[in-house]
Amino acid sequence: MQRPREASTVTSTSTNAASDPAPSIANHQEGQGISLPELSAAELARYDRQIGPGVLSVEGQQRLKASTALVTRVGGMGGPASLMLTMGGVGHVIIAHGGDMISADLNRQVLGSESALGRPRAADFGDYLRTMNQFVEVEAIDHEPNDAEAVELATRCDIILACPPTFEERLRLNRAAVHAGIPFIDAAQWGMTGTLIVVKPGETACLECLYPEPPPFEEFFPVVGAISCATGSLAALEAIKILSKTGDPLWGKMLTYDGYRGNFTTVQLQRRDTCACCASLG
Amino acid sequence: MPAMKIQISYTGRSYQAASLLPAEITLDDGATVDDALCLLKKDLSDDQQLPGSCLVAVSGEHIGTLTNYTNRPLRDRDELILIAPVAGG
Repeated sequence: MQRPREASTVTSTSTNAASDPAPSIANHQEGQGISLPELSAAELARYDRQIGPGVLSVEGQQRLKASTALVTRVGGMGGPASLMLTMGGVGHVIIAHGGDMISADLNRQVLGSESALGRPRAADFGDYLRTMNQFVEVEAIDHEPNDAEAVELATRCDIILACPPTFEERLRLNRAAVHAGIPFIDAAQWGMTGTLIVVKPGETACLECLYPEPPPFEEFFPVVGAISCATGSLAALEAIKILSKTGDPLWGKMLTYDGYRGNFTTVQLQRRDTCACCASLG
Repeated sequence: MPAMKIQISYTGRSYQAASLLPAEITLDDGATVDDALCLLKKDLSDDQQLPGSCLVAVSGEHIGTLTNYTNRPLRDRDELILIAPVAGG
């Protein structure tokens, strides 16, 4: 079963995948009956260090190639997350981020550069990602998806990584992922602390189970780039594990790294039986 | 009455507020999460109170938020975890 790759209703830039887009494995984690795309000799050479015991199988790498991931936004956390997904060989990476690059972004937004200051982020970030892996199709959207766009994007993705600076956007993306039945990873930060939540719709707590209403949060939050990068990379690792069916994803858990004190905390999250987003899924 | 030692962990947004809280509290045997949180609130002034959306967990198990959690008995050496919501991107 494959999902159609219909044209996006949102603004996108050119792509540069070295071969035709792979069939998406969207929402088919069991992978039954799916013909996975072959890996060329050049691709096998590129991913040589991540295929083998304790990492990915060849089939896992093929699964990545057949996958589509949406990352929004692609600043402090989504930037490194999308970079790792692209370098790791996720076949189709969609990024979304509005606005222009400003100086204060450059303490953490690894897809940016001083030469990009004053220019729209999405196009520059997409171009940068394309330089990192010719085997990956990169689609860059120059704004944050609204409700309808998020739902549409979710229908052609296998996973969503939410890295925006507001709970409103996070909850919107969570709803879209739950509606589409695809995994959802929420990565967030404040100061020197990062959190990660991994959602399997209908089986684990979703973000709205935790926060039925958006908690108050300041627009100009403090952040040290190192925690953004670490949290974004962990989000990408979870996505790679899920998409390639490798290891044990953090399903239904919140991982917190308090970098200020150097403490990791993992909490098993409970579903809320009155959750307006996911309770009807049983 | 025998006493229980409960570890306190506060993190997430404004994690520096953890310095306002004790790292460990002592409660009577049979005490609950309610008892622990009431004790902690006494250590905080009105403008230092933790946000109602703060997640509450006991030894790794999420039980709700400060405004809506499932009260339960605590056991000696439990860790009461409070995580203030974080949304920075």
